[in-house]
Amino acid sequence: MPCQAGSPSISAVPASNTIVALSTPPGRSGIGVIRLSGARALDFTCSLLQDNHFSPQPNSVSLRTIYDPANGEILDRALITYFKSPRSFTGEDMVELSCHGSPILLLHIVDALLHLGARAADPGEFTLRSLSSGKINLAQAESLRDLIDAQTHAAVRQAARQLGGELSVQLQPIKDSLLKIIVPLESSLEFVEDDLPPVIAERINKQLSDLVQCVEELAQTFRAGRLLKEGLRITLAGRPNVGKSSLFNALLAKDRAIVTEIPGTTRDSLSELLNLQGIPVLITDTAGVRASSDKIESIGIERTKRAIADADLVVVVLDSSIPLTSEDQDVFVEVGASRHLFVFNKSDILSHTYQDGSLFGSQAPVIKVSAKTGAGLNDLRDALLQPFMRDFSFDGGFLITNARHFDLLQRTATSLRASNELFQQRASEELVLAHLYNALNYLGGITGETTSEEVLSHIFSTFCIGK
Amino acid sequence: MSFDESFDVIVIGAGHAGCEAASAAARMGAETAIITLNLDLIGQMSCNPAVGGVAKGHLVREIDALGGIIGRVTDRTGIQFRLLNRSRGPAVQAPRAQADRALYRTEMRHTLEATPNLHLRQGLVIELIVEDGLILGVELQDTRRLRAKAVVLATGTFLNGLVHTGRRTYTAGRAGEPAAIDLAEGLKQLGFPVGRLKTGTPPRLDGRTIDWNAFEPQPADERPVPFSFSTESIEQPQIMCYVGHTTEVVHQTIRNNIHESPLYSGQISSIGPRYCPSIEDKVIKFPDKPRHQLFLEPEGHDTHEVYLNGFSTSMPAELQQELVRQIPGLDEARVIRPGYAIEYDFVDPRELSPQLETTRIKGLFLAGQINGTTGYEEAACQGLIAGINSALYVQKREPFSLLRQDSYIGVLIDDLITHGVDEPYRMFTSRSEHRLSLRYDTADSRLSPLGHTLGLLGDTAWERFNQRRQRLALLRATMDAMRVKRGDNLHTHLYQTLGCDLDNSPSLSNLVQRHDVPLSTIHHGLPPTLRTAVSLADVESVAADIIYSGYIDTQQSANERLYKHDGLLIPTNFNFTSLSSLSHEMIHRLERAHPQTFGQARRTPGMTPAALATLLVRLKSPQAA
Repeated sequence: MPCQAGSPSISAVPASNTIVALSTPPGRSGIGVIRLSGARALDFTCSLLQDNHFSPQPNSVSLRTIYDPANGEILDRALITYFKSPRSFTGEDMVELSCHGSPILLLHIVDALLHLGARAADPGEFTLRSLSSGKINLAQAESLRDLIDAQTHAAVRQAARQLGGELSVQLQPIKDSLLKIIVPLESSLEFVEDDLPPVIAERINKQLSDLVQCVEELAQTFRAGRLLKEGLRITLAGRPNVGKSSLFNALLAKDRAIVTEIPGTTRDSLSELLNLQGIPVLITDTAGVRASSDKIESIGIERTKRAIADADLVVVVLDSSIPLTSEDQDVFVEVGASRHLFVFNKSDILSHTYQDGSLFGSQAPVIKVSAKTGAGLNDLRDALLQPFMRDFSFDGGFLITNARHFDLLQRTATSLRASNELFQQRASEELVLAHLYNALNYLGGITGETTSEEVLSHIFSTFCIGK
Repeated sequence: MSFDESFDVIVIGAGHAGCEAASAAARMGAETAIITLNLDLIGQMSCNPAVGGVAKGHLVREIDALGGIIGRVTDRTGIQFRLLNRSRGPAVQAPRAQADRALYRTEMRHTLEATPNLHLRQGLVIELIVEDGLILGVELQDTRRLRAKAVVLATGTFLNGLVHTGRRTYTAGRAGEPAAIDLAEGLKQLGFPVGRLKTGTPPRLDGRTIDWNAFEPQPADERPVPFSFSTESIEQPQIMCYVGHTTEVVHQTIRNNIHESPLYSGQISSIGPRYCPSIEDKVIKFPDKPRHQLFLEPEGHDTHEVYLNGFSTSMPAELQQELVRQIPGLDEARVIRPGYAIEYDFVDPRELSPQLETTRIKGLFLAGQINGTTGYEEAACQGLIAGINSALYVQKREPFSLLRQDSYIGVLIDDLITHGVDEPYRMFTSRSEHRLSLRYDTADSRLSPLGHTLGLLGDTAWERFNQRRQRLALLRATMDAMRVKRGDNLHTHLYQTLGCDLDNSPSLSNLVQRHDVPLSTIHHGLPPTLRTAVSLADVESVAADIIYSGYIDTQQSANERLYKHDGLLIPTNFNFTSLSSLSHEMIHRLERAHPQTFGQARRTPGMTPAALATLLVRLKSPQAA
C-alpha cells in the first residue's frame, strides 16, 4: 500500500479573476491588441517576457520580446502598455499587448496566457468591470458603443445563434453523458434508503474517460477552426537565384512567376492563394535578398522584408548544389524571430546535407526539395502546416472557433479528469460530484445553465425513487 | 369593526409550520395566538412519523441553530435515530429519526403551552379581514373575531382539501378532519393565484397481525446523533424497524385494478411529489422492477399501529386490504386506516417576498404546504422564517432573510419565490450550489449568531454555542500543530495498523486527510486534557473542515465569480424590453419571472449566458434605475 501523508492534491486550479481577450476585431490586421485585466495582469506579462523584474512605468509603452512560456520560443516583438489600478479602464491592473496582427500569433499568445492561469473574458466583462468600479457611467458606456458592440452585442447574437445551432447540437450529447454519470452518483447520496441498483465503478470510469476524450477532441478543433477561418500567410525568402520562384510555381502547380537563371529576376513580391488540406494559405514569392544598388530591386527587397515580418511562417530557401554563403546568412538575420523552416532546393543536382536544427543555430526543420522534379514537394507541404498542426485533427466535422468556448471546454475536461481521479481513489461521492458539477457549469457557460431541477428530473426518470 | 380579542400575530394552523411560526413570534416578544381546528392534534404528523433524512435533516439542524423547536421536540420523542450516509462524506451525512406520533403531539403542545406570550385557540378560520391591502385580523366559524397586526397562514393540506379513496371523495383537511373551504374561497377573492397539488399516504396496519419474522430488521444507531445542538443524549428507548418487499403478484393485482385508482381513472389531475410516488405509480412507471421496497415503522411505544412506508395508495379500501395480504409476511395483516390521496390548494409562492410576506396584502405571511412544499422540515423552516418576520414586522424592525450560500433554508425560499412550483417541493442537497459548506454539523456556526441577535437563542444555548466554537478552534489549532514523530506511541500504533511508515512527521491534520486513519485513533492521540474536553463528534467536525477546505476554497472562488452579482437589485419598474439586444424569448422569460435580483434572473430557466451579461451590464450602470 502506498504510504503518503496528506491527501492527494486534486483540487482544481481556481478560476482566476484576471481576464484576457483579444480586443481588436478578429481577422488579419496591422496590429492586434490583447488586453489583460486583474490583479495578476502584470504577473502573467512577466512570464510572457521571461523577465520577473519587468516593472514598467504606468501609462508608458515599452517594446519587448514575447516568449512562449511552454518552450521559450520567441513569439513576437510587442508594444506593452501598463495601466496601474485604479487608473485604468476597468479600474484594475491592466496590460495591453500590441502585437503583430497575425491571427495565428495572437491566438498563440492568448493561449499562452490562458495556460498561465488567465481566464477568457466573458462577453462584455471588461465593460462590466469598468462600470462596476465606477470608471464609466452609462452615457460613457453608450458612447463606447463600438466596444460594447464588439464584446457584448456581437457575442449575444453569436451565442444566441450557437444556442439553437450547431454548437448546442455538438454539446448536447456531452451534457447528456455527463448527466448519465451524475445521476447514479447523486441518487446514491440523496436516496440512501431507496432500493437503487449499485453504482458500477468500471462503468463510471469508462464513461468518464470517454467523456474526457470527447470534450478534449472538441476543444482541440479550436486551432483547426481558427486556421480554417483565418488562413495562413507563408513567405518564401532567400538570396537571389536559389529557386524561390520555381518552388512557388511548383507549389501552385502552375507557371505563375517568371523563372530565369538570371539572379534577381523577381523584382516584386507576388502572392497567390493555395489550398493546403483545406486550409487557405496565402503564399508569397519575394525578391531575393542581397545588397543591391538597383533602385527597383532595392524597393523589392524592402517589400520582401515586410513580407517576412507579416508571415505566419517564413520558408528560407537555400541552394543545395553549392555550400552556404554569407548572403544566406544575411537572409536568416532578416528572418530573425519569425517562425521559419529551411528548404534545400535543387536536391536533384547535388546534396550538401544538413540535419534538422543544425543551421544558423536554429531549431527549425530542414526539407530537401527539387522544384524541378517535384521531389520532396509533399514533404514540404506537410512541413508547411506542421507547426500549426499541433493537435490538429480536422475531419470536416464541427470546429470550435471562439476562444472563450475553447477555454470553457478545456476547463470542462480538467474538471472531468479531476473527478475521475477522485473516483478511482474511492473518494466520497460528494467530492467526485463537486468536480462533475463544475464541468456542468463550464458547459453551461456555453449552452446555458443546467439547473438542479433538470438533474433531479433525470434522476426521477431513471430510478424509481421514494417511499 | 369590533373584535373579541387582539394580538400582535395570529398563526392559522398548528402543524409543523404553524408551531414554529407561533413559537418564534411569541419568543421574540409578540403577543401571539395560534388557531387550530383541534387542540389535541397540535404537531400532528399527517404522514410518515419521521423527521430528517438527507437535506431534510440539514433543515432541522438549521432551524435548531436559529432557535426553532422541531429538533428539540424530535429528540425528546424520537424512537429510532439513524445517521444516514455515515459511510460517506460529512457534507451529505444527516440524522433521521422516527418519532412516537402521540408523544410528539403531546410534547409539541406542551412546548407551545410553556411559551410566554403564546395563546392557544381552537376554531375554524373562515375569513381574513383585510382593509386597503392591510391585514386586520380573522373571523372564526363560531363568530369570534380576532384582531392582529400580522397573520401567518399555515394551512397544510386543509385548504379546500379533497380526500380520495377509490371512487369515493369527500372534503377533508386530513382523513376525518374538516377542510378549510371558506378560507380557500376568500384567498381567491383576494386575488391570490391558487393552484392544486396532491399528496398521499399509505395504509396503517395492526402490528399484532404482522409476521415480523418475514422481514429484515433495521436497527437504530448505537450512538444516536440528535438533531438539536442543545440535546445531550437521547432518552427514549429505541425500537426496531423492518424492511420487506412487494412481489409480482401484488403488481399484477394493481395492474388489473388500475382503473380503480383515482390517479389513473382521471379523477385526480393535480400533481403529486415524484419522490413520494404511490405504489400504483411505481408499478405502472417502472414495469421492469420486480419488487419495491417497503418499511414497517411502528408508530409509537404505546400503540400497535404500524406505518407501511413505501405503499402510499388511493385504491379503494377493500382493495388495499387485499393488496396488503399479498405481501409476504402480511398474509394475515389487518388494515386499521386505509391510505388515501388528498388534493389541496396552494398559493403561487412567486407572490412572496424573501420574508414570506405576500406582496398583495401587507402583514400577511404564508408558510408550509400552502406555498407548494412537501415535508415537515420544509414546512417548519418556512414557519420559522414567517414567524420571525411577522414579529419583526409588528415591532417595526428590519426584515430577516437568509442567503443561499448560508443555509438550505435560504435555498428553499429562494427557489420557491424565484421559480414557483410545478409539483410539491422537497429539499435535496443537490439543490444547493454550496453543498460542501452547508454541513449539518456547521449549522450552528452558520446561523446561531443570527438566532442570538433575533432573540431566539437563549443564554444557555448561546453559551453552549460559544463553548463549542472555542473548543473546535482549539482542537483545530492542536491538530494543525501536533506532529506525529517516530517513537511516539501514535506513530508506532499507526505503523502497526496501517502497515506502512509515516514520513515527514505528519501533523494530525495531515493524517486526517488520509483515507485510512480512523478518527477515533486521532481522538486517542490528542493530549490528555484536550482528549477529555472534546468528543469524537468534535474531531469529526474538525476533520470535515480539513477534508473540505481545499474544495470549499475552490468552490468559493468559482461561486464568487458565478454568483458575485446575485444580490444586485432589479428595480421594480425595470423595463426588460429596453434591453434591445435580447431575443423576444429571453425578454418573455424575464417578464414572466419578474426577478427582483440579478441572482433570480440568473436562475430563471432558459436564460443564456450572453443574455445575462447584457442584463448585468445594464444593471451595473449607475443610471440603470
